[in-house]
Amino acid sequence: MKILTTVKKVVDVELTIRVQDGSIVEDGLQYLINAWDENAVEAAVQLKENNNAETTLVSIGGGDNTDMIRKCYAMGIEKGIHVEDPALDKADSSVYAKVLKKVFELGAYDLILTGKQAQDTDNGQAGIMLAEYLELPCVSNVVNIEVMDDSHVKVSRLGDAGTEILEVELPAVITVSDSINEPRLPQMRGIMMAKKKPIETMDLSALGISVEEVGGDTPTSEIVEFMASQTRAAGQKFEGDAADITAKVVDLLANEANVI
Amino acid sequence: MTKILVVADIKQGELKGSTAELLSKAGSLGTEKAVVAIGSNLSGLVPDLVNAGSDTQYIADDPGLELFSAGPYAACVAEAARQFAADLVWFGFSESGKAAAPRVAARLGAACATEITEVDISGESIAIVRPAIANKVVQRVKVNTGQLVAVIRAGAFEATEGNSGTENVVQLSPPEPDLKAVIKELVSDASGEIDLADADIVVSVGRGAKDQAGVDLVKDLATDLNAGFGSSRAMVDGGLMAHNKQVGQTGKIVAPSLYVAVGISGAIQHLAGMNGSKVILAVNKDPEAPIFNVTDYGIVGDLFDVMPILREEIKKVRA
Repeated sequence: MKILTTVKKVVDVELTIRVQDGSIVEDGLQYLINAWDENAVEAAVQLKENNNAETTLVSIGGGDNTDMIRKCYAMGIEKGIHVEDPALDKADSSVYAKVLKKVFELGAYDLILTGKQAQDTDNGQAGIMLAEYLELPCVSNVVNIEVMDDSHVKVSRLGDAGTEILEVELPAVITVSDSINEPRLPQMRGIMMAKKKPIETMDLSALGISVEEVGGDTPTSEIVEFMASQTRAAGQKFEGDAADITAKVVDLLANEANVI
Repeated sequence: MTKILVVADIKQGELKGSTAELLSKAGSLGTEKAVVAIGSNLSGLVPDLVNAGSDTQYIADDPGLELFSAGPYAACVAEAARQFAADLVWFGFSESGKAAAPRVAARLGAACATEITEVDISGESIAIVRPAIANKVVQRVKVNTGQLVAVIRAGAFEATEGNSGTENVVQLSPPEPDLKAVIKELVSDASGEIDLADADIVVSVGRGAKDQAGVDLVKDLATDLNAGFGSSRAMVDGGLMAHNKQVGQTGKIVAPSLYVAVGISGAIQHLAGMNGSKVILAVNKDPEAPIFNVTDYGIVGDLFDVMPILREEIKKVRA
């Protein structure tokens, strides 16, 4: 089984993010692997270990992705492709999906694994759109993958009414929730070996596709402005005797907020 | 005139509140309003769909649509969008909506946006506002295609009275089943429990509850308040709470009238899932817990002391 995992470099969401004049202030930001994609990498490596799969990752954009890709190598991914092209600067999910489609077609993969969304956009679209463009089956928000045979997997996804269990014919696209696994920490041996592994970097022309074909010039949507999030003002906090402060808060809930 | 197609949110045969919220918003924007309802045995729902504010009801009613399957579901929505010539297709916030919206957009060649909180329509141009980066920033996004498929964030729009529509039912032919991703089984969430997405009050439990006894203590408060009972990630990972109880970016995004966070420190992924709530109360013994940055009312104290008192005091004021 050949697995393609998509990995995006995103801003570290734990740090303070400031907005000025409609843009995010770059100063002080740090970047790392999208957490949900890290779950997808772990899932791919587990399939490699348990089912003799071959694992490749692809990452689009992000500038210097060497550290992130090496980390994935150290976790057990065997091959890495980095697509970097200035024409993708305005890319929306649909553009990403069209680039991924081309990567998929060049590799004849059986399974595409990706995080359910990227932490920088929280869109959750590219993987699902990729499946549509490839006319492949797709299951999103997946928490378990079991290989049934060479051409079928059984997956569980968290849906609105409960856990949905599906049998999926390969090739297929699966987007994973972070509930699927706990990504491993790379071990020293893996980290050392990762340093020697090449990363295949290519632009759109090397990939054999034009900017028009992926809609790079004409994304379906574009971000025109960032604004600071409306933060909730911290309200009243009570310390002291539990009975007194609890009675006080209940009175406020009933008579000030009118919610109980 | 702009046309908005709302995808009906149906659970266990009942029309959920988000449908009226979305149609109310469409009404306030002065657009033409249609709804598409997908499922099995839907004929009894038509009056509810009209009351919710739709003027055309596209109905895909087929036994094969009883269980959610993203492909056929998206096919029905795309077909209704074509017939109605919809400029905007709106899903209420749900896992089904998140799974289907990008498919519908890809099929229509439309733009797609998830978790939107506001929409501006002026003439032919559409722009939306949505949070990103775990709610740390807000984006304004311009739609370049003239057509948008969107998932509306929970609690973003409010239902208004007097928004009833007119009946004009259009039956859609049932879609082809997805033979390549076949749903074999649905392991239902515990029945009889209040759905977090619909609950007017949500009480959530976190690591501070320590063990099953602590969880039960917090659950008693949820029961008293007739509230949905949610959880932080830590309690799910620890096996004390089920996956479907998790509130946060991974899990359910909720926006109830009152959210009560008990023993939850307030990781950003959790905050991003509940900070749209109207009123937030937290109980935590750590006065520096980040949860207190977003709460309207905070009780600094040990939940094991506070829970019994809180239940008693609430009983008193409600008596």
